[in-house]
Amino acid sequence: MTTVAARSSSILTEPEYRIEGRDKVTGAARYAADVAMPGMLHAAFVTSPFPHARIVSVDASAARAVSGVRAVITGADTRPARFGRRLQDWPVLCWERVLFIGDRVAAVAADTPAIADEAARLVVVEYEELPAILDSAAALAEGAPILHPDSATYAYAGGARPERSHQNIQGHGVREHGDVEAGFRAAHRVYEHTFVVPRVHQAYLEPRASLVWLDGERVRVVTTNKAPFALREHMSASLGIPEARIVVDAGHIGGDFGGKGLTPDEFALYHLARATGRPVRSVMRFADDVQGTNTRHAATITLRTAVDRDGRILAHTSRVVFDGGAYAAGKPVATLMPGDAMLTLAGYRLPAARVEATTVYTNQVPAGHSRAPGQPQNSFAAESHMDLIARDLGIDPLDLRERNVVRSGDIDITGSAWHGTDGHVLLARLRAASRYDVRRKQTDETDGTGLGVALGVRHVGRGRASTVLRLENGTLELHTGVSDQGGGAHTLFQRIVASELGVPLDRVRVVREATDAVPSDPGVGGSRVTPVQGSAALDAARKLKARLTEVGGSLDGDHRLEVTGEASQEGHESSMYGYVLEAAVDVETGVVKVGRATLVADVGTVINPVALRGQLEGGFVFGLGQALMEELLMEDGRVTNPNLGDYKLPTIADAPPLDIELITEHPGPGPFGAKSVGELANPAVGPAVANAVEDASGARVMTMPVTAEKVWAALSARR
Amino acid sequence: MTFEYHEPRELGPALDLLARHGQDAHLIAGGTATVLLLRQGLLRPGHVIGLRRIESLGGIARTSDGGLRIGAMATHRAVERSPMARAYSPALTDAFASVATIRIRNQATVGGNLAHADPAQDPPPMLAAFGATVTARSSRGERTIPVADLAVDHFTTSLAGDEIITEVVLPPIVEGTRAAYLKFLPKTADDYATVSVAATLRLASDGTVAAASIFLGAVGPTPIRARRVEDALRGRARGDIGEAAALVGEEIDPVDDARGSSEYKRRMARVWTERTLAQLLR
Repeated sequence: MTTVAARSSSILTEPEYRIEGRDKVTGAARYAADVAMPGMLHAAFVTSPFPHARIVSVDASAARAVSGVRAVITGADTRPARFGRRLQDWPVLCWERVLFIGDRVAAVAADTPAIADEAARLVVVEYEELPAILDSAAALAEGAPILHPDSATYAYAGGARPERSHQNIQGHGVREHGDVEAGFRAAHRVYEHTFVVPRVHQAYLEPRASLVWLDGERVRVVTTNKAPFALREHMSASLGIPEARIVVDAGHIGGDFGGKGLTPDEFALYHLARATGRPVRSVMRFADDVQGTNTRHAATITLRTAVDRDGRILAHTSRVVFDGGAYAAGKPVATLMPGDAMLTLAGYRLPAARVEATTVYTNQVPAGHSRAPGQPQNSFAAESHMDLIARDLGIDPLDLRERNVVRSGDIDITGSAWHGTDGHVLLARLRAASRYDVRRKQTDETDGTGLGVALGVRHVGRGRASTVLRLENGTLELHTGVSDQGGGAHTLFQRIVASELGVPLDRVRVVREATDAVPSDPGVGGSRVTPVQGSAALDAARKLKARLTEVGGSLDGDHRLEVTGEASQEGHESSMYGYVLEAAVDVETGVVKVGRATLVADVGTVINPVALRGQLEGGFVFGLGQALMEELLMEDGRVTNPNLGDYKLPTIADAPPLDIELITEHPGPGPFGAKSVGELANPAVGPAVANAVEDASGARVMTMPVTAEKVWAALSARR
Repeated sequence: MTFEYHEPRELGPALDLLARHGQDAHLIAGGTATVLLLRQGLLRPGHVIGLRRIESLGGIARTSDGGLRIGAMATHRAVERSPMARAYSPALTDAFASVATIRIRNQATVGGNLAHADPAQDPPPMLAAFGATVTARSSRGERTIPVADLAVDHFTTSLAGDEIITEVVLPPIVEGTRAAYLKFLPKTADDYATVSVAATLRLASDGTVAAASIFLGAVGPTPIRARRVEDALRGRARGDIGEAAALVGEEIDPVDDARGSSEYKRRMARVWTERTLAQLLR
């Protein structure tokens, strides 16, 4: 008889086997683009070639005449439907105006993708071009065209939309604490710097794909969306169909990096499926994805900081302007800004601060969520700013951070007491692990080499989740609505349940199900899976354990037990991480070669040791790409490098050695003391590189990415 | 994308198909370029002629005079790994080994590369610097074209529509000639060159430069011969090359793109020309 044992900690220390690993390696795993239905049609879209234009007329007659075309719909058929995660401002198909290159005007369903594409080309749209807003500064300029004059009519989920001072503002926030003016008056020095961060793309390799069909009263959706319950809610709101009639199935997701919380296709596919009575699928080309969906926000960030003689911060003000693009639809948070838009100097003790952030409408590709929204932008600004201050004051950059870093209870940029990693512990570990003092001396003595330091902060995920754990005929099955986007969620749940019940891993099956078969789930995002969904899995295991006495304490036999594990994680705890990395600069060419890097991260209890390292290493390389090379090059609203041949990502040959040291002894609020790790690596790479470059060469680059050409130009200007 | 696919086993039928279908036919060798063009809708041929089964187009061998013959269908990887190619010149190996990734090099062919005529490719400047020629066959006959004259503009060659490149022939190397291929990659290891420099150089007995052949990639519509640099180098001693290298800026015509501004590329062409020459004169 199998009884539950005391909690098995050995399960957590063994390297994990990924539940879905075999299917992925053998090719058995099915992604949304692999799913086909009998009689399925293929969709193509007609998109705007102009960043801003009035639609004068749409003539689809030639497209409808093509053999194999089953339906052509236009904005006239879908109006007034709009979609969005919080604010529904994005038309399913435009009927009056188009607001960016790539905005959709018509959709085709046809027997093959080639026929659909051909028909889409035959739709004749007459446009009247309008003046376009191509950068965020122009959005609020006098006489700027108002891009959303009817915004008062847009649905906004969860209450009333916050007031705005200008119609081209998507979201706005101001926060102030302490006596800012007194802080600046008392300053030994005041520093002000402006930083610019460009649009970048998440660059997942799995294409976005969606398949929609009508099954009697039901609307069935297969999708790459990582938050299927949220998509169900959005479709319900946008299309006027009760949620109970929509079933969303999101299986394996081949890369997300924050971008797959918004999917623009399902809404039009529903209309096409209704018009044809057949399943309709769309698989997005990478170039269309880059030009058509939610990129990271470009930002202009001005930081102003007052310090005393020792470099201690007295007061801080900041102004952040994000280019939100044509629609705010991709942003799920109530402020309609990237989640961490207002954390402009995170991780430091701030007696007084005033932060102002704004997201504006422009005629660019809509910006949405991308890994650690708002953080890479603000981290680049803040950690570059700290280094510039240290350099000017003649204080070592790590010393300056030690003087200002938060400890528990200190007031930080949020105006509240810091709960999380003790900054001194983190920086001491970083100093030791990187052999900072020795390497500082070495790099100081070697021309063209330098060290860069950067500190990073990320909240532990919050929210509510529930999951079902079922014991039936001796088998434990955890039923979850969480799609695994590569982070290892299902393996994590299996290990938590097996560990808590003290049973071998193979006694626990994890079953992912569509929205009609499991309790509502908030989806993957916000560093939520481990602390929230993981806690729900642990709660389920504990509840099951408590009820085992009902069946004689044994897991074997033909009895059936079902419990629902729940978790609500509303605390405001944060973790810290820090980098020391070495860079060598070729002064003739500006080429930056990142050498050995050290990452220290406060991760709490480790559940998936392999995936955890993978998350940190992957986050580092992700950050390195954005630090050194990634940028969507825009020309009059058009992306000019919309392919992975020109939009380069680091390859394995470009990844420098990374030493990782984990701080595990301070438990977090997640299961068994776990924290979140998904974003404890990527945002601070950019400033660590920029800081190392200045240390190595004297060239300071104030814009991301820190390309060879920018370094070369900065060095040329100094000569 | 629909077309009729042909896969002849001999060159003759391939030439006949090409002659018969003219503009409506497109050749496919390794496919690394053609498939991208097809998928992007930039090519819409009615007929695609696959060359992979034509055995006479393969092979790498030394020629009787000490040169090297590379069959048009030899892959980049095959050249990279060929002891005969390395014996001819390690710089030839370097040029092929610096193309993209192993996956691409295992698929992309030497003839396909030359016919594609992307000015940022690695092998063409090196082959041109060695004075290589291609053999072009058509149903009308055969002719020899210097690699230096093959590309005439971006993605445009001097090949006639009915011609197929069958081989590349490198002449014997004059005793004492040194060669190098340097590729400037400021972003990733698998990228196209921002600037590349291929050079061969022979020293006279007094240590001065007797002859030089220098071609640059990615800084104009075709590989560009740096004639002024070559002329200025003649008779110079090592340690006296900076002035000659500086002349490269007058010969090239780089464009602004994702790999850098025109100005930056112009400056980098000079830096990398100097570095290439310095390596050859070490």
